[in-house]
Amino acid sequence: MEKATETQTTAMLPKQKRQVARKPVLTRIASGILYLALLILAVVQILPLIWLFLFSLKNNQEVFNLAPLSLPAEPKWENYVKVWTEGNISMYFFNSVWITAVSVILTVLIASFVTFAITRMKWKLSKLVLGLFMVAMMIPVHSTLIPLFSFFTSIHLMNHPLAIILTYTAFNLPITMMILLGFYYTLPREIEEAAIMDGCSIHRLFFRIILPITTPVLATTAIINMIYNWNEYVFVNTFISSDKYKTLTVGINNFIGQYSIDWGAIGATLMISILPILFAFFVLSNRIVEGITSGSVKG
Amino acid sequence: MLKKAHSLLLLSVALLLFVLSACGDADSDSNEDSNGGSNEGETSGVDGDKEAVTIDFMHLWPAGVSAGQNKIVNEIIEQFEAENPHVTVVQEVLENEQYKTKLQVVSSSNQLPDVGMTWAAGFLEPYVKGNLFAPLDGLLENGFGDTFVSGTLEAYAMDDQTYALPLELNIAPIYYNKAIFADHGLDVPETYDEFLNVVETLVDNGVAPIALGNRDRWTGSLWYMYLADRIGGSEALNTAIDRSGTFENPKLIEAASETQNLVNMDAFVRGFNGLSNEEAKAEFLNGSAAMYLMGSWELPNFTTNEEIPQEFRENVGFFKFPTIEGGDGNIDSWVGGPGVGLFVAENSDVKEEAMEFVKFFVEKWGEQSVTGAGVIPGTAVDTSTLDLPQLYIDVLNELANASNITLFADVQMSAGVAETHLNMIQSLFGNEVTPEEFAQTHEEALSLEE
Amino acid sequence: MDKVMSNKKIIALYVLPALLLIITLVYVPIVLTGYYGLTQWDGIGERTFIGLANYSKLITDSLFWQSAFHSFLLAIFSVISLVAYLAVSLVLSGKIKGANLFRKIYLVPMLLSSVAIAQLWIRIYHPTNGVMNRFLESIGISNPPLWLADTSIVLFAIFIPIIWQYAGFYILIYYAALKNIPESLVEAAKIDGATPLQIAYKIKVPLIASVIKVTIVLAVVGSLKYFDLIWVMTEGGPNGASEVMASYMYKNAFKMNDFGYGSAIGFFLLLIALGVTWIIRKLTATKEEIQY
Repeated sequence: MEKATETQTTAMLPKQKRQVARKPVLTRIASGILYLALLILAVVQILPLIWLFLFSLKNNQEVFNLAPLSLPAEPKWENYVKVWTEGNISMYFFNSVWITAVSVILTVLIASFVTFAITRMKWKLSKLVLGLFMVAMMIPVHSTLIPLFSFFTSIHLMNHPLAIILTYTAFNLPITMMILLGFYYTLPREIEEAAIMDGCSIHRLFFRIILPITTPVLATTAIINMIYNWNEYVFVNTFISSDKYKTLTVGINNFIGQYSIDWGAIGATLMISILPILFAFFVLSNRIVEGITSGSVKG
Repeated sequence: MLKKAHSLLLLSVALLLFVLSACGDADSDSNEDSNGGSNEGETSGVDGDKEAVTIDFMHLWPAGVSAGQNKIVNEIIEQFEAENPHVTVVQEVLENEQYKTKLQVVSSSNQLPDVGMTWAAGFLEPYVKGNLFAPLDGLLENGFGDTFVSGTLEAYAMDDQTYALPLELNIAPIYYNKAIFADHGLDVPETYDEFLNVVETLVDNGVAPIALGNRDRWTGSLWYMYLADRIGGSEALNTAIDRSGTFENPKLIEAASETQNLVNMDAFVRGFNGLSNEEAKAEFLNGSAAMYLMGSWELPNFTTNEEIPQEFRENVGFFKFPTIEGGDGNIDSWVGGPGVGLFVAENSDVKEEAMEFVKFFVEKWGEQSVTGAGVIPGTAVDTSTLDLPQLYIDVLNELANASNITLFADVQMSAGVAETHLNMIQSLFGNEVTPEEFAQTHEEALSLEE
Repeated sequence: MDKVMSNKKIIALYVLPALLLIITLVYVPIVLTGYYGLTQWDGIGERTFIGLANYSKLITDSLFWQSAFHSFLLAIFSVISLVAYLAVSLVLSGKIKGANLFRKIYLVPMLLSSVAIAQLWIRIYHPTNGVMNRFLESIGISNPPLWLADTSIVLFAIFIPIIWQYAGFYILIYYAALKNIPESLVEAAKIDGATPLQIAYKIKVPLIASVIKVTIVLAVVGSLKYFDLIWVMTEGGPNGASEVMASYMYKNAFKMNDFGYGSAIGFFLLLIALGVTWIIRKLTATKEEIQY
């Protein structure tokens, strides 16, 4: 912490002209060190992706025998061919995209409603309801499998995409709300006071003012939800039987055998499945920054 | 700002509409499908004079990694559907762990697939007790029961009724790397002393003698089981598990301490307790470890698997676990047994068809599994008519000559005791318990079950 | 104003969708888990009601308490690591060149599924071929640790990837919070001559205090029920040295066919998490903040 904040201090120095004038050499060295540290960290963080890519080009022998970051003698592009041609990966892909998108939007929207009602509106049971949501975060996932299975069976939602969409939404609601809460508490009350004075309805206030100024945190929770849903496999495997509703994570099943595992193909599956989410992440991630421009309006 | 809010609102509305339409769509789809997905069986449509039915079949042989098995499965299903035009077989494929979890979850709501895969003895027991598997004895009449290798059906039997038919039968030899043995002037050991000598020579020359991935724990159990068999005879362990004997039998304690002796000699690869079987196997396959005790399911890797260098495959041989001087064991006694078998769900609505399918499947599977997938089936194989790699023929001959096959200890035991056994194996290999504590903990766990 | 903001119909409209979902899909399982915990059940056949027998077994089960201890250790390490994440976020939210790109790159590992992360770290920790031991050997350490096979270090070896896995998650939250601070406040402080360090400590951190509290709760609750990497990398072994509550629960319910006992563990885990959260709330509560 100490060290990091120190470097942070120096990071901001060049912006302050007076101080730059006072001790230019030191600042430049410090800022150099900071950049070096940031760069090293960046390399460390990007390596896993490169590793995964190289991993996906190897066969089992090479996976175990070669150094993680070495290139195989002949890249096994056939791993990708295998993944694409065997099994229904394109269908899984489509399912992953729409199921994730729907769940993320549902979760973020519903969570925003509740958080708004809890933090901005006045009612007796608000704390109790908030408590209910927080407790819901604490149950281990595997405890819920059998109860949920019998519940979905009894309402004939088993093997139906709605079963996983609703499950994802319900299980991600608490954490999404928790993150939203922290932000809603920091919103100045004056905004809605002014809006209500102007005769703005609550719906209008929520959709036109609150949602836009919380864009950064909405983008944040959307990213987090997206990653969770995209990589989830326990619920899909349990609640979905037909191939036509399965998602990408299930594609890995295809390469785990009774006594052997095709690692290269698993790598290729993982690589294919990370690309769309990487793209979505970069897009959403920009919204966090864009948020400030609209956020700063509130002053 | 307002413009942005507007577009956001529009976007969410559009997406919600998409949700609704997609779900509506899915709804109509799943109506036809849910009949197949659950156990209800289809009653729609009439084909010939029989009602059309769907058999749900859950298994763990995906096309990706178990291509041979998967291809045979699909061929058998096609043939079966051709012969029984009113039947459709719908498959669901999961990997091992997800498969086991799902089987338990669906059982809790009595929603088992019509036909599925199960393991023997301890795994099967709660399903039979819960009345979820149908007895298959009816199928075994008219000589069909005689086509199975003796002893295999018994592994799936409880109270004199058979609840599953085996698809696999394995024994576990010690595979060895002929090139490494030749480099160090070593011969195949026939006695345990010779075996220890092999280990010692290899250690002295800086070669890891044995590949073992004991993170998976049943792998280490194989070593203990063989030592128990060779020291105490084939009944020592079996009787300790079925409670007519005890783990405190001095011979079994000796087996445990001999296991630790091997560990202390550095017989196993470095860090074996943290390695998975997959990683350990890799060390044998890349020639850095000389021996590997594993089931005969590994044979494809040493014969037909093109991914592994031919030079290596030609250098793999196997030997039987050597006998120990003064021990009660027989060199033709093996650790192994049937792997997965097929069950029929007791509450299946298409039980009759499911039974027929299981019988049909087992018959056809037995004809093709060795040549098509390298899997030794539970039914007898005639080696003289098949064109097989020599290593397969040798193993099949050993199987035919086996004086006894002791079922894997963790399969014999109930799930709870098996977990204790496996943990104890890891501790024994890690020198964290003494052989006496090892025996005592087993006794405690087993006595709780009585 | 107050009248508008306490409109019952609107409150119901905003709260009910989420509440309904949570109650049917989370609370029904919670209640059922509590109930299953009072039964003897293998998850397959008949259930028999046995009262509190599972819980009295739990209280004296040393393996459970060992796993609970490991979970608490993870919670403590996770909370400590929040400090580092906050520091990185403070740096990134400052006006430095390329911060935007750095931030995106830092979050990339978060996108990887646990399967991939586990495989990566298994390769790193491999006792002979692993990146770590190759490196240690190259600098002259002849007998490097066995990592995942060594019962005395396996737990800490496995904490590193877990904590690393969540770095992106918390950096993302902190970053968004810091970016939400009105520029005017920071500018005003600068004009008053505050150093960047003072700005960070005295203005930025207090302003996102509510977010920090939330992340503490998230880190603790997340750690107490953590399962993924531990299961893939060690299954809680060797011999329980890396067992945590969730893996112990899973093992009992699904591997040992003792679903009743597994449910009791799951329910107890929930109670522990609840208690710990309550304590954190009490400890971090400040007067001007709304308590929840």
